[in-house]
Amino acid sequence: MFTGENIIQIVSGFLHWAYAQVGISALAGAIDPVITAIVMFGFISVFVMFLVWMERKVSAHMQSRIGPNRVGPFGLLQTVADAIKLTTKEDVKPVNRDKIPYFIAPIVAFVATFMGMVVIPFDKGMVVQDLNVGILYIIAITGFTVIAILTAGWSSNNKFALLGGFRSAAQIISYEVPLVLSVVPIIMITGTLSLSGIVEYQQQAGYWFIFPQIVAFIIFITSATAEANRAPFDIPEAESELIGGFHTEYSGVKFAMFFLGEYIAVVVSSAVAVTLFLGGWLPVAFLGFLHLPGFIWFLIKLVSVIYLVMAFRWTFPRLRVDQLMDFGWKVLIPLSILNILITASVWLLLYGKGAQ
Amino acid sequence: MGILKYFKDIFSGLWNLLVGLSVTSKYFLNFKAVTTQQYPEERLPLPARSRSMIKLIYDGEKDQFNCVACLMCAKACPNSCIKLEGVRQADGKRRMTTFKLDFSTCIFCGYCVEACGFDALTFVSEEYENAVYKRGSLLQDEHAMKWVRQAQPIAPEEQKKETVIPAVVGA
Repeated sequence: MFTGENIIQIVSGFLHWAYAQVGISALAGAIDPVITAIVMFGFISVFVMFLVWMERKVSAHMQSRIGPNRVGPFGLLQTVADAIKLTTKEDVKPVNRDKIPYFIAPIVAFVATFMGMVVIPFDKGMVVQDLNVGILYIIAITGFTVIAILTAGWSSNNKFALLGGFRSAAQIISYEVPLVLSVVPIIMITGTLSLSGIVEYQQQAGYWFIFPQIVAFIIFITSATAEANRAPFDIPEAESELIGGFHTEYSGVKFAMFFLGEYIAVVVSSAVAVTLFLGGWLPVAFLGFLHLPGFIWFLIKLVSVIYLVMAFRWTFPRLRVDQLMDFGWKVLIPLSILNILITASVWLLLYGKGAQ
Repeated sequence: MGILKYFKDIFSGLWNLLVGLSVTSKYFLNFKAVTTQQYPEERLPLPARSRSMIKLIYDGEKDQFNCVACLMCAKACPNSCIKLEGVRQADGKRRMTTFKLDFSTCIFCGYCVEACGFDALTFVSEEYENAVYKRGSLLQDEHAMKWVRQAQPIAPEEQKKETVIPAVVGA
């Protein structure tokens, strides 16, 4: 069987053979992470390009349009053309900007979300670093985007950018709470923070956590959409109210970094949703006869969840700021606390104190 | 009652969101719902009486223009963009020799077509790509405006059937 673990073994075996040929076997510990980082960056760039194309196609067909169909087959190379245009564009900077934060903000926005990919298990053993505090790490590292957005808004020296940054800070801090609370029941059930461990628990238990934890799944997807600053929670960059929000004054490559960061945030949160609620690399029960490798199952589920997030964006109208805060504090947080309470009670009743 | 209303609101809100998602997903999955016409490759047939371009009617059997240079069109033109000259022939009938219409000042009001009493000027529907690269190209003479009437004009009923835009399916 051609699994993700086998691929990793073959590739690392080949690499170590190549090191031996060149005579740098001693440096393997230093070179391996670099190669891993490059591979991950290449994968995520191509995947984000595909997602941008997919988003444009999804939105087009939802509005009875065709979408990009000129550059390459089915318009697949449209995003490549856009990327070339963005990178070769003049980088227009405001004169009175705060220079260093202005330069750092897009880098932080990109790195903070990209680092979340480190602990995502694509297949059994196909993970860059299987941290035993994986979920905690992801929640912590993706929280850095709020710093990037605030920095970008402040250093642009533009009132709309600053307003967007402040709104974003309020939003992300508010929705971080239900996001974490919706994950808590799963951690209580499995007794582990490692993402691979959670998938393995689902494999042993024989069901995915979306079935007992549908409320948690809905809360998680909603808060993850808000965390990624996507519509209907895109008030930090609401085009009709705030021009472009925090990235008003950014152009060219720096804008591309924010754009890439936003999409990677979608990928990371969807990947976490797949891992926690949809059984990660496990095959779909009634399609088990297909014998696809685990990472293919993972990608199929990932694209499905991302489609859901895209459908949110092109279906729901944007929330007002007060509605956003109401929804976060008065609906999502009480519901997630209630969910924790009910889950804990039911699990205690069913399995007693020694559940794990 | 407050707590019940709270949960009722949450469930009805969730239900409404799901209904919205089902509508957009229906459109997404129904690829026939696309109504885009990709213009240079696909063209919608225009209605027979659409006013796209002004043309001079040429009579193929008599090998001459219908125009007799009565100057009624030039007088009717609010922008004075029609210039024409005529000559009295040996048989005593007047014939147009040169006809110039400056489309850079023409507003396509149609007064010249209405004023024409000899069925010499008309609007045509098929020629609607009138953009040019030089302003001078808009000054058209009788050779550029020459148009032979088709033998059998399309019946209005038939035309109607062709121009029906495909209806949006679903929802």
